[in-house]
Amino acid sequence: MKKEPADTEAKQTCLSRRGFLKAGALAPLALFTTGGIFSCLLLRSSGAGAFLLRPPGAAEESKFLGSCVKCGRCAQACPYGAVKMAGAEAGAAIGTPYIVPRETPCYLCPDLPCVKACPSGALDPKLQDPEKARMGTAVIVDRENCLSIRGLRCEVCYRNCPLIDKAITIEPRHNPRTGEHSIMEPVVHRDKCTGCGICEKTCVRDKPVIVVMKTPPRQRDYYDF
Amino acid sequence: MEWTRRRFLKASAAAAAFAAAGAMHLGKRFADEAEAAEKGITWGKAPCRFCGVGCGVLVGVRDGRIVATKGDPAAPVNKGLNCIKGYFLSKVLYGRDRLTKPLIRKGNRFVEASWEEAMGLVAAKFKESIDKHGPDSVAIFGSGQWTVFEGYAAAKLFKGGIGTNNIEPNARFCMASAVAAFMNTFGSDEPMGCYDDLELGDTYFLWGANMAEAHPVLFSRLVDNKLKNPRVKIIDLGTRRTRTTQMADMFVPFRPQTDLALLNGIAHVIVRDKLYDENFIKNHVVFKKGKENIGYGLEDKFKFDDEPKAITFEEYREYLKPYTPEHVEKISGVPAKTVVELARMYSDRKRKVNTLWTMGFNQHSRGTWVNNLAYNLHLLTGKIGRPGENPLSLTGQPSACGTAREVGTFSHRLPADMVVNNPEHREKTASIWGVPAAKIPAKPGPHATEMFKALDRGDIRVMWIQVTNPFQSAPNLSRYRKAARKDGRFIVVSDIYPTRSTELADVILPSASWVEKEGVFGNTERRTQHWFKMVNPPGEARNDLTQTIDLARRLGHGNLFNYQGSTEKAIWEEYRQFTTGTGKDLAPYETYFKVRGLRWPVINGRETLWRYSEGHDPYVKKGEGIKFYKNKAAGGKAIIWARPYEPPAESPDRHYPFWLSTGRVLEHWHTATMTGRVPELKRAYPSAVVEIHPDDAKRLGIRNRDKVRVTSRRGTVVLPCELNGRGKPERGSVFIAFFDETKLVNELCIDAYCPISKEPDYKKCAVKVEKA
Repeated sequence: MKKEPADTEAKQTCLSRRGFLKAGALAPLALFTTGGIFSCLLLRSSGAGAFLLRPPGAAEESKFLGSCVKCGRCAQACPYGAVKMAGAEAGAAIGTPYIVPRETPCYLCPDLPCVKACPSGALDPKLQDPEKARMGTAVIVDRENCLSIRGLRCEVCYRNCPLIDKAITIEPRHNPRTGEHSIMEPVVHRDKCTGCGICEKTCVRDKPVIVVMKTPPRQRDYYDF
Repeated sequence: MEWTRRRFLKASAAAAAFAAAGAMHLGKRFADEAEAAEKGITWGKAPCRFCGVGCGVLVGVRDGRIVATKGDPAAPVNKGLNCIKGYFLSKVLYGRDRLTKPLIRKGNRFVEASWEEAMGLVAAKFKESIDKHGPDSVAIFGSGQWTVFEGYAAAKLFKGGIGTNNIEPNARFCMASAVAAFMNTFGSDEPMGCYDDLELGDTYFLWGANMAEAHPVLFSRLVDNKLKNPRVKIIDLGTRRTRTTQMADMFVPFRPQTDLALLNGIAHVIVRDKLYDENFIKNHVVFKKGKENIGYGLEDKFKFDDEPKAITFEEYREYLKPYTPEHVEKISGVPAKTVVELARMYSDRKRKVNTLWTMGFNQHSRGTWVNNLAYNLHLLTGKIGRPGENPLSLTGQPSACGTAREVGTFSHRLPADMVVNNPEHREKTASIWGVPAAKIPAKPGPHATEMFKALDRGDIRVMWIQVTNPFQSAPNLSRYRKAARKDGRFIVVSDIYPTRSTELADVILPSASWVEKEGVFGNTERRTQHWFKMVNPPGEARNDLTQTIDLARRLGHGNLFNYQGSTEKAIWEEYRQFTTGTGKDLAPYETYFKVRGLRWPVINGRETLWRYSEGHDPYVKKGEGIKFYKNKAAGGKAIIWARPYEPPAESPDRHYPFWLSTGRVLEHWHTATMTGRVPELKRAYPSAVVEIHPDDAKRLGIRNRDKVRVTSRRGTVVLPCELNGRGKPERGSVFIAFFDETKLVNELCIDAYCPISKEPDYKKCAVKVEKA
């Protein structure tokens, strides 16, 4: 792979470009040799990092699994058909509702019909304001492939964010490579991000570089900034 | 194997385990493969196909197909960067429904035909119409996306061959007001400044321009200046909060159309407080006043001629008297103290001031006036023609400047600032074209809107449309769409994809696009950029230039195009004769092969960054400092125009209480005939929405993403609304992007236009908004 000047970026991130490429190269090989697609499906549901994006108002995963009655009414209520019901590949979570944002994200309906339709309270009826939903958090997982971070004027995720300038902001900085342009970097703010996945849906790369992940737990300290 | 995100992440984790165990070898193999993938790609340079910024790109071709594009690191405009449209350039030509064969309408369907059949039919219809109804019964409607050659050939055929001035570009819909004001202020079209001013200045007034979305790469240059220099201020003035507003230091919202009053208010304070540059005014400026209460062109065959009168500085001062900050506040809603503040900034001797504008100024029923009023501020303060302080009219098409304006493909223009109603200009043109001067009619043809009205009336019967989509983009569309299908009309559309215009055609001709042909474009900053043909067009598609020359031959005007060797080179060298010695000088053709464009006038191979400026523009003599040498009639001086505030053609009322403005988004370009074929861009922004202020929405019981019906006196559309999105109109206004071919949004727009420039006002009409 030809080394590009943009590589200096990589040094600032925990996931290096090289490691990243290697991972991409090796994974199919590893998976193939250890049982192919079938093992892949198993990994998906039972792995420690497994994360299914739940509809708005869903409680923490173990609680949610305990209270969801798998009736599918939330899926029926979704006007965009965004809510799907998990199949056998989900293991213990079979029959529970989830969202694949790259296919159809949550559009944050003002009246939250999925929450209203939930008979069990697994989707918390106290959630009235869709902007307060916390389904997950969008994360730019692949800075090297993010066109905005490479200095192109993309920022599609930012302009499509329903909480534009709150959940995603643009932090412009000088582009030392050209010397006269600015890099308009999208930055996600976890306190505002609903995890709706519209950014993941609209990302222009073949593999979205911004994806919704499980919101990491808050870690307390005494700094007030 | 389709890779899902989750699988991908897991795989990455799993792979990390392998990484230690000799994965170096595999990494190397992949690098080799990547290199092999690049092998066999030849790269060529071209300007981007989209907006007027004129970014340079490198086009990668393998096996006769564009397989990649990337920003050209050597291009001074963008230094290797692109916007998201430019990033996907390699895909815009390869949509599945690309037109590859000529099509002839048979009843309600189109049937494939040979070129011979199709062009035979087109020529027969032209001939029949010219014989029966005269040359003014045929017309060509082109574009600021025409290459220089295509525009030049069309102008030569119609004006010099057929003998009609019925040629217009879609640039009439977008740049005409800028043109009219350049001409009546400086005596020559196009800006004195260039993009370097974006780095050299420190104060930027953006009027009616959403640069962040409409001129993406240029905007990142402007923002970078701000990042480097804390003194830099960006002031956004407009009627809608945009992504540009978000990055600006100050937003000054005003009521639609009242920019006229606000600009006069700023001038009032500058003159009242003696903040102007007295010496500059004495040496470089004269004052004029024109007709007032000039109408809106709503009636067919509307005529207007300005009657400029010279006035004195004293008379101008008197003229400005009513525009006190307090009075301006009443009209525009801009606080009086802000008007004073803006005037202080404009005139601050320590500030290098630039004014940038686009469609908010140009698509304006007083578009020429509002352009004039912006120049007034620069001429009063003497901040013009020097590095880092200039007014700059931004353009929206890749060759609005290079072709539509410089070649002069308007009904009243000839190449290089010349006009048809000047006998000397006709004489010069005819001699270069090798036709009798009497061939070029002295009377200008109808401007774009009037051209479509003439089609409706039947004065124009045969119309050829090239490289544009007017039956989606024209204002008050439904009248003109119906006109196209009237009996006795014959519409030919050359395009690369089926569009809302091809659907109304009688003959559809498949065209070559961009690097499927050789071309030259000219961007906003007078930069002329050349590219070679790199791939063949698909199927039987042909260059528009070839199509025009084909018609010429069939009509007996083949002698106009009897060139030896390369037609492009021959046309260039012929066209160049118009520019030599005029201050718009272009270089020999081959010069452009090597460079990433040159800004004219190009004298002895050297480009000009600042026109009218000593030490930069070779036409300005030593000791002259600044010289507006193109304005010979005014003794080499520029004009400050006294222009009043006048209301728009249609304002909100009880029945239609909202203002409507239409415009662009970053992801799509014009009517999205190209960007709409790129799946990634389509996914990023699939369809139009109406932006409403949240307070207005609340009052109407409309929630985010609700379906909303927007109705004007001319049409209605239903589309989802967006509150608090990328754009937020001021209270009482709504905004819709016009790219969406499933929603003919411009149907709502009024076809009122500036009587001087004849450019329609897409930014102001009255609509009502209801929950659908």
